Amino acid sequence: HAALSRRYVLCEVVSEDPRCRQCIEDRALGLAVRDAIARVHGDYGLACCSISFTVKYLNAYTGTVLLRCRKDSYRLLCSALPFVRSLESRAQRYPCFLNTLHVGGTIRTCQKFLIQYNRTQLLRLLQNCTNEEQRQCIQKSLLSCSLTEEQSQSGDEEEDDGTE
Amino acid sequence: RGPAGRGMAAAAFERRVLRRAAEHHYLRVRLELADGGARPNAAQFKQLVVTALRELHGEVGAALPVDVLTYEEKTLSAILRVISSGFVKLWSALTLLGFYQNRRCAFRVLQVKPTSPFLLALSGNSRELVLD
Repeated sequence: HAALSRRYVLCEVVSEDPRCRQCIEDRALGLAVRDAIARVHGDYGLACCSISFTVKYLNAYTGTVLLRCRKDSYRLLCSALPFVRSLESRAQRYPCFLNTLHVGGTIRTCQKFLIQYNRTQLLRLLQNCTNEEQRQCIQKSLLSCSLTEEQSQSGDEEEDDGTE
Repeated sequence: RGPAGRGMAAAAFERRVLRRAAEHHYLRVRLELADGGARPNAAQFKQLVVTALRELHGEVGAALPVDVLTYEEKTLSAILRVISSGFVKLWSALTLLGFYQNRRCAFRVLQVKPTSPFLLALSGNSRELVLD
């Protein structure tokens, strides 16, 4: 199966405007990324990256996005991601940028990374709390989350993963 | 010689060969353009080459260091120099360029040389050789 190798690029959408969250959906993101590739790498780059290109996973709350592409063209994709400057959806455009978090060969490695990353992010949020009320809030939601084993292994990853 | 007592087969010696690839490639090209229109001057010719690169290879392609070393407006032929890593991008971009100011055009690559432009200018060109 090495012939059909793919790369999964995990990134997060960062925006100062909270309304940008509503643009985090697969069509808007797919278009924004492909448009950036076309600008930076031209017709050739766009054609290369479009083979097997898809938005595999999205989380509008955390801004996490998982993109898939061919292994041969992942460098074209990754080098074009910094050129995504805004997202457009339903005639609304909001400025943002993409942070590349991880590039993996399988969804599973990206999932593992994301779980670890989210854990450290939650801890950092806790440390950055400015008042006691926020701190209590976060602690309560952390302590109240639990891990339920699903019958079907979906491969989707929940933000509140079972930490004690 | 690898140090003795390492417990593994000693490497006899290590030879590094650095093949210094030519830094630039040179192309002699001619632009075929339908008659009856203004011919591009040197700056417009360069702009056309950059446009071709931008269409096929994007901003990265357009940023390739390409120089027009000589240009003859009468024959629309030129000698281009490009950094060797961008040679394939340039040639493919020239091949696929079809229009100049909404007029049909085509780049003909006459000669290609990886080392020196002087050899390019002086040498005979087997691509245009006509056998009786």
